[in-house]
Amino acid sequence: MKEIILEAMKKKQKALSEYDSKRVIAKAGVTITRETLVTTKEAAVKAAMDIGMPVALKGCSPELMHKTEHGMVKVGLHTKDEVGIAFDELMSKGMKLDGILVQEMIDGDRLFVIGLTRDPQFGPCVMFGLGGIFTEVLHDVSFRVAPITMDDAYEMIEEIRTKEILGPFRGSPAVDKDLLVKALVGVGNLGVEFNEIAEIDINPLIVCDEKPIAVDALVILQEA
Amino acid sequence: MKDLNKLFYPESVAVIGASENILKWGSIIISNIMAGGFTGEVYPVSTTSQVIYGRNVSKTIADISKPVDMAVITVPAHSVPSVLEQCASANVKNVVIVSSGFSETNEAGKELEKKISDFASARGMNIVGPNTMGMANFKINLHAMFSHVRLTPGGISLMAQSGNVGNQIMYWAEQQSIGLSKFVGSGNEAVLMCEDYLDYFNTDSDTSVIIMYVEGVDNGRSFMEAARRTTPNKPVVLLKGGRTGIGSKAAMSHTGALAGSIRIFKSAMEQCGVCMVDTQSEMLTLAAAFDTMPLPKGNRIGVVTLGGGWGVITADECEEHGLVLPPLSDDVKERLNAMLPDFWSKGNPVDLVGQPDPHLFRESVEAMAASDSYDAIIFLGVINSFKTVLRLYHAAIKLGKDVQLDLAEMERRLDGLQSAFLDTIADLMEKYNKPIYPVALVSPPDQPVIHRSDKKGKYRAMIFKTPEDAVRCLAKQYGYAKYLQKIGRLQ
Repeated sequence: MKEIILEAMKKKQKALSEYDSKRVIAKAGVTITRETLVTTKEAAVKAAMDIGMPVALKGCSPELMHKTEHGMVKVGLHTKDEVGIAFDELMSKGMKLDGILVQEMIDGDRLFVIGLTRDPQFGPCVMFGLGGIFTEVLHDVSFRVAPITMDDAYEMIEEIRTKEILGPFRGSPAVDKDLLVKALVGVGNLGVEFNEIAEIDINPLIVCDEKPIAVDALVILQEA
Repeated sequence: MKDLNKLFYPESVAVIGASENILKWGSIIISNIMAGGFTGEVYPVSTTSQVIYGRNVSKTIADISKPVDMAVITVPAHSVPSVLEQCASANVKNVVIVSSGFSETNEAGKELEKKISDFASARGMNIVGPNTMGMANFKINLHAMFSHVRLTPGGISLMAQSGNVGNQIMYWAEQQSIGLSKFVGSGNEAVLMCEDYLDYFNTDSDTSVIIMYVEGVDNGRSFMEAARRTTPNKPVVLLKGGRTGIGSKAAMSHTGALAGSIRIFKSAMEQCGVCMVDTQSEMLTLAAAFDTMPLPKGNRIGVVTLGGGWGVITADECEEHGLVLPPLSDDVKERLNAMLPDFWSKGNPVDLVGQPDPHLFRESVEAMAASDSYDAIIFLGVINSFKTVLRLYHAAIKLGKDVQLDLAEMERRLDGLQSAFLDTIADLMEKYNKPIYPVALVSPPDQPVIHRSDKKGKYRAMIFKTPEDAVRCLAKQYGYAKYLQKIGRLQ
């Protein structure tokens, strides 16, 4: 984890790629999608078969902070052919990439966000809230100054207005709060441990059955 | 931790720049100290006068032959550094710099402030301000400040980053008979910061509750640490100014954009058990409640009402603030059955259906307070209800009827009964270790929030003007109790 961050700082990166961001947060305790970084079509197809269809393919680069806007995300790929075509399309955009990320598709209606920010007075702060497209509209989020205890994490989960959707919801079981707590505490610790990390966005965190899984993540680094 | 004991408990005070020009700081401060009844030594220092308010003036602080525990500086900003040097030479460790013209003005002011803060820090001097309206310790009648308030000494200590906010709160406290322990206007906080005062109030045995008006903290983490040290021992009530500020700097992530300073400030305060309030009056009421009542240990509320919709409003307010109204327990039902007409509510809220019976008032409150089903009692509509009845007699008199009563005498008698009843409430709070919140039916503007009488005892009754005032206060007290329970300081 430390190597990934230091290496990126050395290269004067502004951020970590999605792949590296997820490796860092996974170490900190966040459950992430099963995924493989590949550089050839053959490897992409093999990874897709290993993970199990359907899969998503994403262009992977530390420069790519807004993948969707650049058309660098292909989702719902069900066959080897679809994976191959998607791979070629992403590679043909002429962007400088670390590779293509082959990723499992997570199915779920409940989207959350976990984040880390640095407050000028209080330093690293953890955020939890409603994720997806409503994050910026509803502002239904809670904050705690890091490091946080497990009690703090439980409290901040209970603090959002839409907390009902954490319970049993439309036939889905209640969200596993222990996993959310582990993720929140871990993200807080990252902020305390690594001054190199400026901000983190884990959005969305999709709940599949009862498990919250980080589908996208972005670790932004301090300017050197 | 800094030693602020002699700053708040000086035995001798000098005012540098003293004068008899009533509207100038040099007079405002020294007249307040002298007229306010401070019994320690007071030394006016001035280069232009010989005698001020009957006291001989020293030309400089060095000319005072006896030790000076604390000096108040009111001279213009440009003279402050040299005066401060004189204080240092005279071994004065505590200095209140009232003068303005420092970092609140321009770059030159900033530099001047840096100069005095470096000088004082190097010598371990305690500096309040600059740009402050001063400080006070009501226990020893020390009023080294702008506000000429004369209020009841009590357990609440106030720190304000704004002079006029402090001024207004102290005048309210005076008017509402709320006792204060100390005041300090922290001004520009060149040397002593808000967390230093917090740490001091934490250890000060004359302080039981701390209230703070804060617009910003330089170092959020060290403020949090001071708060974490304090809240296990004493409640801290904080009003944050500048809630709608520009928020954090433009951020690259969504998380940063969502943060905004007040959200994080509130969360930080919650993490360390500080009670945030939204208004100055809420701050003072809550502080008074902490100072004069036991804490509610849980959120189960019993409501007794003289009648009508008040019980409904109160139940709604409780629900909205995370408090619950459990059904009436059998023990309370049995006690009240004997005293109330058959058709009484038999539920919580207990509706006394307008029975004007002082014995019933007491019995119903005690029955609820004694019950294990409730953690706090709200008692609606009895206080001052007699005042509405007096109006009926006045109307009859105006219409020419001879009521054959001395109404003034009657009012005095009823006032006496009510005062005794409020003392009973204080006794019941002590007996059952539960808070009781009397809400007045009508509130004369001059009625103090805290009921004062000669009664001895641990607690005093407060009189709330509205059900929502009582519920909000109760909910915040419960929030603090919950924090204490979480950290293992309260069962």
